[in-house]
Amino acid sequence: MSADAPEELAVDVDALRKEVQNKYREVALDPHGAHHFHTGRYLARHLGYDDAFVASLPDAAVESFAGVANPFVSHPFSKGERVVDVGSGGGFDSFVAADLVGDSGRVVGIDMTPEMLAKSRQTAARMGCRNVEFREGYAEKLPVEDGWADVVISNGVINLCADKRATFQEIYRVLRPGGRLQFADIANGNPVPAAAMRNVDLWTA
Amino acid sequence: MLENIGFVDVTIGAAVDTFKGAGGEEKARKFAVYGYPFLARKPG
Repeated sequence: MSADAPEELAVDVDALRKEVQNKYREVALDPHGAHHFHTGRYLARHLGYDDAFVASLPDAAVESFAGVANPFVSHPFSKGERVVDVGSGGGFDSFVAADLVGDSGRVVGIDMTPEMLAKSRQTAARMGCRNVEFREGYAEKLPVEDGWADVVISNGVINLCADKRATFQEIYRVLRPGGRLQFADIANGNPVPAAAMRNVDLWTA
Repeated sequence: MLENIGFVDVTIGAAVDTFKGAGGEEKARKFAVYGYPFLARKPG
C-alpha cells in the first residue's frame, strides 16, 4: 500500500468504539473485576513505574489503569512541557506526566468513555491537580489545537483504534515541530487470522 | 506507518510480558503478543 492510498479498515469505526467503550466502562466502574488484563497498582509495578510515586497516589488514580507498557521510559520529561494523553482512561498516566512536567507544565487527557472521564476529573479535583484537564474526544479527532503539544503519550489505546493512520496523523498535527510521541502498545509476533481481525468482539477480548 | 506520516527517529524499546498471569495470557502466548514502548519525533 502506498502512503497516499486510503486504508481499508478491518472493522467499522463506530462499532469498535462502542465495543471499547463497553469494555472500559467496566474497567472504570469495576476495576478489580474479571478482566483479561491486569489493572491498577499490580500492573503499574509489573510495567516498571516508580513505586514511590504510585504509592503516593490515591486508589482512584491507579485502580483503573490498564496500560500495556511504560511510555515514560523512552525519553525523560522536562518541567514546563505540554503533554497530550491519548486515551487517558482513569487518568493514571496523565497524573504521572503532570508530576514530571510540574506546575509550569500542562497535561490534557483525552478519552471517549464517559465513565472514565468522570473518574479522572473527580480524581484530579480531589488531588488538587491543577495542571491537568480531561477532555472528551476521539483519538482520530483530538480536541487540541495544531502544534500545541511538546509530547504526546498513549498507553494501550492505539491498538484499539480502527483507523491507525488517522490516529497517528492527528497526533502529528497536535505535536509542535520537534515534539515527540512516546506511546506504549501491544504488537503480535504471530499473524492474527483475517477473519479474527474483522470480528469486533475479538478486539477487546 | 509512522515514517510514512512524517515521524523520524522511530525507536522501539524492550518487550514487556504484559499479559503474564492475566486471563488473556493464553491468547497472548498464541499470537506472541507483548507490550512495547515506542518513541518517535516530529521533525522541526
